[in-house]
Amino acid sequence: MKAFRYVRPASVAAASELARGGATVKAGGSDLLDRMKERIATPDDVVALNETPADPTLHSIVKDGDVLRVGALVTLAEIAASKEIGALYPALAEASTQAASPQVRHRATLGGNLAQHTRCGYYRLASFPCWKRGDDACPVLADGAVQDEAGIFGNDSCASAHPASLPPVLGAIGARVVIAQGEKLEERPFDALWRAPEQGVEADVALAPGDIIAAVVLPKPATGRTVAYEDVRQKAAFDWALASCAVGVTIVAGKITEASIWLGSVAPTPHRAAAAEKALVGATLSDGAIQKAADAAVADATPLAGNRYKVDLVKVVVRRALLRAAGRDR
Amino acid sequence: MPRKVTYTVGQAGGPTREISVNVHDLDVDPWGVDAKLRVVGTEVPRLDAAVKASGRAKYTYDMNRPGMAYSRLLRCFHAHAVVTSVDTSAAAKMPGVLGVTTLLDVGGRITFAGKGVVAVCAETEEQLDDALHAIEVAYDVRPGAVTTDDGRAEGAERVDERRDNAVVGRRGRQERGDPDAALAAAAAQVSATFRTQVQTHSALETHGCVVEPTGDGEYTVWASTQGTGSFRGTMARALGIGADKVRVITEHMGGGFGAKLGGVDEWDRAAAFFARDLGRPVKAMLDRRAEHLVAGNRPDSIQEMTLAANAEGEITALVGTTHGTAGNGGGGAGAANTRIYRIPNLRMTQTTVSTFAGRARAFRAPGHPQGIFALDGSVDALAEKMQIDPLAFRLKNDPHPLRQVQWRVGAERIEWERLRREYPGDGTVKRGVGCAAAIWFQRGRGNYVVNLQVARDGSVIVSNAVQDIGTGTRTVLAMLVAEELGLTPERITVRIGDTNFPAGPGSGGSTTAPSIGPAAREAGYHARLALAALLAESWECEPDKIDWSGTTFSGPGGKNSTFDEACKLIGPEGLAVSGQRRPNYKQGFSGETAGCQFAEVEVDTETGVIRVLRIVAVHDAGRIVDPLTARSQVVGGVIQGVSYALHEDRRMDRNLGDMVNPTLDTYRILGIADCPKIDCLLTSIDSGFNNAGMMGLGEPVTVPTAGAVANAVSHALGVRMTELPITPARVLAALGGAR
Repeated sequence: MKAFRYVRPASVAAASELARGGATVKAGGSDLLDRMKERIATPDDVVALNETPADPTLHSIVKDGDVLRVGALVTLAEIAASKEIGALYPALAEASTQAASPQVRHRATLGGNLAQHTRCGYYRLASFPCWKRGDDACPVLADGAVQDEAGIFGNDSCASAHPASLPPVLGAIGARVVIAQGEKLEERPFDALWRAPEQGVEADVALAPGDIIAAVVLPKPATGRTVAYEDVRQKAAFDWALASCAVGVTIVAGKITEASIWLGSVAPTPHRAAAAEKALVGATLSDGAIQKAADAAVADATPLAGNRYKVDLVKVVVRRALLRAAGRDR
Repeated sequence: MPRKVTYTVGQAGGPTREISVNVHDLDVDPWGVDAKLRVVGTEVPRLDAAVKASGRAKYTYDMNRPGMAYSRLLRCFHAHAVVTSVDTSAAAKMPGVLGVTTLLDVGGRITFAGKGVVAVCAETEEQLDDALHAIEVAYDVRPGAVTTDDGRAEGAERVDERRDNAVVGRRGRQERGDPDAALAAAAAQVSATFRTQVQTHSALETHGCVVEPTGDGEYTVWASTQGTGSFRGTMARALGIGADKVRVITEHMGGGFGAKLGGVDEWDRAAAFFARDLGRPVKAMLDRRAEHLVAGNRPDSIQEMTLAANAEGEITALVGTTHGTAGNGGGGAGAANTRIYRIPNLRMTQTTVSTFAGRARAFRAPGHPQGIFALDGSVDALAEKMQIDPLAFRLKNDPHPLRQVQWRVGAERIEWERLRREYPGDGTVKRGVGCAAAIWFQRGRGNYVVNLQVARDGSVIVSNAVQDIGTGTRTVLAMLVAEELGLTPERITVRIGDTNFPAGPGSGGSTTAPSIGPAAREAGYHARLALAALLAESWECEPDKIDWSGTTFSGPGGKNSTFDEACKLIGPEGLAVSGQRRPNYKQGFSGETAGCQFAEVEVDTETGVIRVLRIVAVHDAGRIVDPLTARSQVVGGVIQGVSYALHEDRRMDRNLGDMVNPTLDTYRILGIADCPKIDCLLTSIDSGFNNAGMMGLGEPVTVPTAGAVANAVSHALGVRMTELPITPARVLAALGGAR
């Protein structure tokens, strides 16, 4: 790891100022430190947001009228254990429980889970070429590459797959992200957080210099709205999902009036299955509609030779998540 | 003069045989199957459990010596390349840098990703890291195959320019009987190609050492090694000094599985040279990526198997070819699968394919997990084709008397008949049950000496250079001595893992316990004889008038003495004796240890995710000294075997020639949440061969696991799984093909 200055900011605003000046923001450090050790990240200054003096915006889960504000520094373990979150959005607590290992969950934070970089093995090893790190082409797209864990959507120039557990659920919840920029706090829609991969741009989130994820706002679910989560992991614990899906559906008088379907581990960023959402609206949550949505979810998939099985997995997790949302056994 | 002893070996209440052996005149009589023992065979918690569990145990990684510097290698991550320039000038001038040595000059050829090119030594790990990143090396990168298929392809670049990549080894051809005629006459036969992956050892503690010059040209080396003696010898040779000048200490080690056999490596030598030149201790431990790349692996295999039987369900022939790569070495791949079942007609050709990848090392039962996977997979397929229950088919074809017992014991425990009847069941989640066989051969070896000291306060120290690879060597030695002295094992202090003590065995081939245990038993016996001699002097009788009940001495006139009372006769300087391991007896129960495992699995047919619910492991290792530590080995072997069956896989990018998953995050290893319930059933026998009737256990316990799991998955799915690891992708592909 390259030598760096470790800065304890006085506040999130101070951290934002430092970040605007080029400092790298650290929360739990479970992602950043790995990249620093490999010298993929070589910051001169690291702002330890997690050492900010107690600030409810950052550190707490606060009920604010109808909404829950979850600070960016709340750990995955705290989310998993939170009664408020468990009552409002059990799917979010469940996804937190599935992530990583108990040790990591006690360190890794909500903000860090959103802002982490792709776990693509090629990206994570400095000796491998990587389009995201500025090389000419993504080596995962070549015949002979290891493609099992690669993406099946939007993979024409970068085949990485964003495997974080929480983003699909937050997407399906319709969460809003609170961004600190200096003294200012601004709420942005969840979709706006993600950026399509670009050559030489490593971050998967669309943050301007000085933007810091300060909190996530969870709205109260509308009447008839349910959120459910499903994933597939090769191992029962301490493993990234091979595919995950969170669905949010509103059912009024038996009819689906609105659906939000997000997939994880299948694209360079959390992937919104818009066609599947569209297939559901106006339908009842019948077996037929569920199957149609599952099929629609993969209609535009572009699997590689080595990861066609992920198409099947996506259909399964979409179907299972919808069945759970409908309160039915699979 | 050796004396002849006739006694019974085998299993109490099971198969036995009487043998007649020559026992060395200094050795104690063998126990035999009917021996009534007080300590051996009871469950004794590992003597070093508390220091290990509390973190007080010091591993090589924990050794931090005053004035210590750090050393590491700059590695090349190309599979095949030639060095065209090396520039270390900037690194050499960096703060804290104490030494820079180029290991590979311009023109030097690299034949695997991970090769060390420059060694650097620095004051701190941070300065070392900075210096390594300041070195510039340029390469002429060349094509190079990293998989067995690519390495044997026409026109593939040669790893060794003097010969083809594909070589049939010295013992690569086996033939007996007339396999062609047997196949032609067979009532049924099955053919399939089985594939297994490259598995890395992935011990928790990586390879490495701390080398400390202690003055007068002598060195103390803390090393994570499976052989303190061989490490000392190779280190001395590297330094160009006598082995008498090097002391190697391995008080505790964090796993080896075969990868830490043999002696010093490139990084150890670099550390030693820096230590010598600087006159300071130097530490060199591998990082995890290097551990995966350069510190050994289990070769993969592609096994084309044809197995045939006659109408009576007797196996008549096995014809097979095996290809596998042991990396850039010229040999070592292969699959052991011809010695379990009666196979009268056989033809097997085993080819090692050199590739531009890190070299294999011995890995827990080399050749066996892969061989048994294919063998027991073929056996199941043939039984299925002949509509015979797979277990009945095995009972018919397995000649080992103890495994005959074990198959039945295991089947009863897992409820084989019921599960075969009820599974796979309906619904999307299927269940299955399967089994496979284990075999091993080690009865121990060598002529090692164990020293034993007794003080007049009754304290006992047992010492030998042997390291404990993790199996519980301390505890086993203490128990054997305690048995002879009428003490509890906790009373015995065992000092091992230090070459200042008499030479001990390397931990290879599951030989540690049977190689050193009999010497400890003899040492305890000699201590008892020495105490009896002191008592005879005190009681004014002949030593042969002193009897030993197992806990007390007794003599003429109703005199008796406990061990502690007898110790009071020892002089202030203490008593010292030794015991030696004598040559193996010519006879025993069986030269092969037997075992078998049964697996019960659950498979989600929609996602392909497999959970192994239960493993029943039935194993023999001769006399089981401590069932607790023995079960711990079984559990470890099963976990490693399930991990091999489902997860572990060195994934190589075939274009870049490097491993894409060289971390513990990306190289999947079975975790605690995935561990099946494991039932260990130890069929303890007296094996003969040595005074304690012990044999080795570490390796056979992982031999059948993957085969049993694969057979269980095949049962659940109704499709034969022929490739490891059995990932969700492979399950879905198999089901897709079956539809």
